[in-house]
Amino acid sequence: MSKLTTRWVRGTLAAAAIVPLMALALVPMNVGAVAAAASAKPFKVCMGTGGQGLNWQTGQGQVLQSIAHKEGWSSVVLSNNNSATTTVNNVEVFIQDGCNAVVEFNPASPGDVPAMQAKFAAAKIPVITFDVPEPGAYFVGIDNLKAGIEGGQMLGKIIKSKWACNLDLLIASHAHGAGTVDTQRTGGMITGVLDECPTIPQSKIVNDEGGGQVSVALPAGRNVLAADPTAKRIAVVGINDSTVVGTIEAAEQLGRSADIIGWGQDGSLVTGANVDPHLLGSVFYFLEGYPEAALPLLKEIAAGHAPPVKDDTHNNPEVLLQPCPVTAAQARNVPGYSARLQKLMQSAAGTTEYALFCPNK
Amino acid sequence: MAEDTLPELAQGTPTPDGPMMARPVRPAVTLRSFWGNRSRPEGTGTGIVIVGAWGALVLGSALYRSDFLSHQTLLAVTFTMAIVGVLSVGQALVAISGAILDLSVPTALILPSWAIVSLLGQGINIFLVILAALAVGGAWGLFNALIIVFGKINPIIVTLGTNFAGAAMLNILFENAQTPISSGLAKWGQGKFLGLPNIFWPMLLVVALAGYFVPRSRVGRHMIAVGGSSQAARARGISLRKTRFAVFVISGMLSGVAALLFTASDLYFIPNDGSNFLLPTLATIIVAGIALSGGAGNLWLVLLSVGFISTVTTALAFYGLSDVWQQPPPGAILMIAVSIDGYRRIRSRR
Repeated sequence: MSKLTTRWVRGTLAAAAIVPLMALALVPMNVGAVAAAASAKPFKVCMGTGGQGLNWQTGQGQVLQSIAHKEGWSSVVLSNNNSATTTVNNVEVFIQDGCNAVVEFNPASPGDVPAMQAKFAAAKIPVITFDVPEPGAYFVGIDNLKAGIEGGQMLGKIIKSKWACNLDLLIASHAHGAGTVDTQRTGGMITGVLDECPTIPQSKIVNDEGGGQVSVALPAGRNVLAADPTAKRIAVVGINDSTVVGTIEAAEQLGRSADIIGWGQDGSLVTGANVDPHLLGSVFYFLEGYPEAALPLLKEIAAGHAPPVKDDTHNNPEVLLQPCPVTAAQARNVPGYSARLQKLMQSAAGTTEYALFCPNK
Repeated sequence: MAEDTLPELAQGTPTPDGPMMARPVRPAVTLRSFWGNRSRPEGTGTGIVIVGAWGALVLGSALYRSDFLSHQTLLAVTFTMAIVGVLSVGQALVAISGAILDLSVPTALILPSWAIVSLLGQGINIFLVILAALAVGGAWGLFNALIIVFGKINPIIVTLGTNFAGAAMLNILFENAQTPISSGLAKWGQGKFLGLPNIFWPMLLVVALAGYFVPRSRVGRHMIAVGGSSQAARARGISLRKTRFAVFVISGMLSGVAALLFTASDLYFIPNDGSNFLLPTLATIIVAGIALSGGAGNLWLVLLSVGFISTVTTALAFYGLSDVWQQPPPGAILMIAVSIDGYRRIRSRR
């Protein structure tokens, strides 16, 4: 009995020793399992939005978060607040927060781009930029030149049919601060008009600074029109709807509204119930929907197959969005911003607004 | 703190009215001259210079392009004058009263503008809309004055700060706003009276009222006195606080008037649009010879100044310059005017 007891005690002690040893042996496996669970945390996509007080910039953040939700990713959206300091600070936040990819709309700090990209590169975070190309980042943007030319051609056709191309004045309302975007978009519109009406002499084309705002384009337009008081047949192109409408309003103030027609860009003032009757059309970009166009690229990054960044991001973007030129009559059937945003976010991930709303596909 | 316990200004001690009042007491002759006890009105020399420069500009432009002298040019210039002119009168009152400048002009313009289009969109009677515009503008001025007086902070710092806060608030309130094209206000804004824009006449009325009443009314004389020397004004029993409140509330109400002209003539606007009016407003009062050190200035000259500056921008379009080259001259005028103002201040201290 005593031997049995002794054996039982020894066996129990041995078992008691083996179990912890086995448990200890299993610890690394458990740690590994925990680590595996941690590495399976969802792909995190982050975005710095423009913060210029424009609805589509807020919308881009909303659409990105909607996509992340549909894809099972996590997301962080911060406003760059149209400030260089905030933009740079946001880069630090994105890096510390462990973002797997960052989307930037950065209108405020072109001078900080090399430093920002160096930080992202050191943290091995791929970056996608919207509309403002940055070396080292994937560029997703509208084809501004095509947008300009197509809008100009549509206005040119109207000039041809209405006035047989006998134009007295073609006003191009620029926003020089936008750089190449202005050159391609506004310059493209002039090219488009001249495609249809090549007989319009260069002397009839007058450039002014509209600043991208009605309140800047309006006085500038008054001055240009006053300087050509005998012009009867006047057409206006510009970098966006605001500069074109500002110039049209100037003509109305000078009592010359019967003489003027215009075609805008960006579609911001061609929908709704308050459209100026002299704005004959515009070109939609559906800016708020850009993240949908970037989705295939984000999926490749999430899958660990990020493509190489193209060297010449400016003229050779990773994703080139298609512009959608529309007449004012067609634009009446295009939903307003809020309705578009709502429908887009309710659609399957990857659905573009161009596919949903453009009447001239 | 009771006003009579305020520190002596001439000793450079911080005061509720800010450091711009911490300077030597001016001789009373400045006030007397402003009230008309002198044969030559205040700012006559400045007025002659502006008229001379304006005349030379018009003559030169007409010689270069005979079509410069057209009704179209007159319309372009007078449309441009209207909003800047009204805002400049408010800015001039602030400067004359010794508060140097109101940098919250962008918010002061857009906040009542937003109120106007919001009320118009709800079909509110235009007379109530006008009252609302004045009330919102006045409330903004009151808000600034409360911080300046009770916070005892320099007005430039306060209005710079409130403008940032106001810009943020406007961006939260709305993204873009539109005056209904079919509204009476929009139609009035495109209309003319006696060959000039409808929106020009309220500006002319505002300048005339300010030019006439500021040197003659009790409130106006208090503004001049406080701006000239707060110490002397206090010794005369003038309440610095009440004067400061009056100046900013009146200036805010003038922003409400400007907002009516703005929404009548610029039918689509965004929160940031007000910033386009700050520099022209500053240029106008500086060219008009309104002393940024306070206590002096002839409000009638605001009319000449805004007319001259508006004509410069219109004339440049006649010279066939690239649009890029049309931007430096107004800035150059501002720099020259600031230099002249600085020279004038140095000379007045001798």
